[in-house]
Amino acid sequence: MMQSKPNLGRHALVLVPYGWLAVFFLMPFLLVLAISLSSVRLGMPPYEPLYAWQGSLLSIRLNLENFVFVLGENTYLLAYLTSLKVAAISTVLMLAIAYPLAYGIASCSPGSRSFLIFLVIVPFWSSMLIRVYAWMSILRNDGLLNSLLLHLGVISEPLRIMNTETAIYIGIVYTYLPFMVLPIYANLSASDRTLIEAARDLGCSRMAAFWRVTFPLSLRGVAAGCALVFIPVIGEFVVPDLLGGADTQMIGRTIWIEFFNNRDWPVASAVTVLLLVILVIPIVLFQTRLSRTSTA
Amino acid sequence: MQSYVSIESLSKSFGLFTAVDDISIGIGKGEFFSLLGPSGCGKSTLLRMIAGFETPTSGVVRLDGEEVTDVPAHRRATNMMFQSYALFPHLSVGKNIAFGLQQDRLARSEIRQRVSEVAEKLQLTALLDRKPQQLSGGQRQRVALARALVKRPKVLLLDEPLGALDKNLRAETQHELVRLQRELGLTFIIVTHDQHEAMTVSSRIAIMRQGKVLQIGSPAEVYETPVSRYVAKFLGEANVFEGGTARRSGNELKIESAEAGGSVLATATDHISTSGRYWVSVRPERVELNKQGSGLEGVVEQFSYAGSGRHYRVRLKSGATLDALRVNLGAQDDLSVGDTVFASWMPQAARLLAD
Repeated sequence: MMQSKPNLGRHALVLVPYGWLAVFFLMPFLLVLAISLSSVRLGMPPYEPLYAWQGSLLSIRLNLENFVFVLGENTYLLAYLTSLKVAAISTVLMLAIAYPLAYGIASCSPGSRSFLIFLVIVPFWSSMLIRVYAWMSILRNDGLLNSLLLHLGVISEPLRIMNTETAIYIGIVYTYLPFMVLPIYANLSASDRTLIEAARDLGCSRMAAFWRVTFPLSLRGVAAGCALVFIPVIGEFVVPDLLGGADTQMIGRTIWIEFFNNRDWPVASAVTVLLLVILVIPIVLFQTRLSRTSTA
Repeated sequence: MQSYVSIESLSKSFGLFTAVDDISIGIGKGEFFSLLGPSGCGKSTLLRMIAGFETPTSGVVRLDGEEVTDVPAHRRATNMMFQSYALFPHLSVGKNIAFGLQQDRLARSEIRQRVSEVAEKLQLTALLDRKPQQLSGGQRQRVALARALVKRPKVLLLDEPLGALDKNLRAETQHELVRLQRELGLTFIIVTHDQHEAMTVSSRIAIMRQGKVLQIGSPAEVYETPVSRYVAKFLGEANVFEGGTARRSGNELKIESAEAGGSVLATATDHISTSGRYWVSVRPERVELNKQGSGLEGVVEQFSYAGSGRHYRVRLKSGATLDALRVNLGAQDDLSVGDTVFASWMPQAARLLAD
């Protein structure tokens, strides 16, 4: 009897995230999808309406030309591939830095743990834009880094880092690192220490115990961290725009240029929709499969 | 006799706290040895030093004649069964059991054979492909045991191995452990706080308190001839009264006890001097209660029916309490709360304790 009663409170609670997603994710996306199926025109808004009333007849015009154009043009494909490459390399770099960092913090005493995690989060207290500008003044030819290295005599002429791909990697790794550290740390700090002892008891050296027990058990945290940085880095705009050079064209910047320089909203929207379809959907599928296999 | 596991003046301090305080124990090959004591008595620390997880502050651990004090856990011929079982959640039962053999780089065919052997012995054959999370508590306990046994250790260390099981399963598993230990001829060292468990499974028990060993002996020895009031009360129930002047007649002692409010009987023993402070200890099941006659007079204050026996708490005239247990032999109960009773016992039922 009790179970068959609809639990209104619980249903309402589930509706909150769905409602949030519908309003702030699905609706904007549908708008973008609609614009991508329109065609460009001069005026405001700078695209043709999708539907019109001709007398009592509703006529809907869907224009697939934008997609055909984007798929046929090498620049866009290149921008996709560049984004993918930058995201993949910076994810690997972040994993290489974040895993030892998270492991080190998780092995500390509980008191120093929370302090160290606080240090990881503290950069969030200032605007990301300001922090990227700070990197500009560090990496410039006459910036902090070059002055220091010149002063120490390590180099005889300034390194050109600013406006290169290296600068993009530095900026992205710096900006997104906490998102990689936190899920891995959360996973490692919750891991059961006696499992390591059991592995040691069964003949594992410290190293073997790490690779056979600690690491495989932390893979969920690693996967969460990778998804958390990989997906937003693909569409990253600020860092490549401010630190990168003209030769590294990522998809975020391409979309920006289409929107604001060319005022071609339909093509910009088509690029956005394709980005979502080509890159994000496979990742989401992978994520759900991973979480299903690890809970089974 | 040469000890198989030899613990010599072993101590372990954590800062100012001494967890294990100068303990020496010799354990023979094929023994089922228990370390028994309340939590915090140092028994787990002692076991962890034998396993190699803790480095002793001082002292020596020898295993089969060889000193292993500084040998790390993964190079010792001991295996441990953890209280929490510590099964690897990402591996199937079969891979959990094979874990240690793979680490030893044995041939695949041998690993497979040894895993299926031990799985059969512990009725795990049907569960080899399951994950630990899909098992019941009793099944997990058997997997943990299999994973340690498959390595064929010289000594198997068990840390509260049955603590997580419910009472019925625990009793069954105790017998299973004993059977397995005999069959394999292995040396088991078990840590437990459960005196009943220690008595059931062990060949010998070391009773520990505050980092020290108070007494080592077979279950019967430590129960029948405890060395101190603490041991007597820790292992089962005991009525303990301080003794006063004693009169000897033949082999019997008649002891005046102000605490008990009368004279009580004991046998004359050479070990205890009755000139200093000493105590008389009697187990409840040795106490006889009669409605009239001689002995310590008191009133039945509490009664509880425990199935296999009837338990009476008697308030003696002196104000002390005395526990008595009548084994349930099917006879009608003739005592009830409020009755005046006389408590007595045979001289050999009492034991004199100096501490």
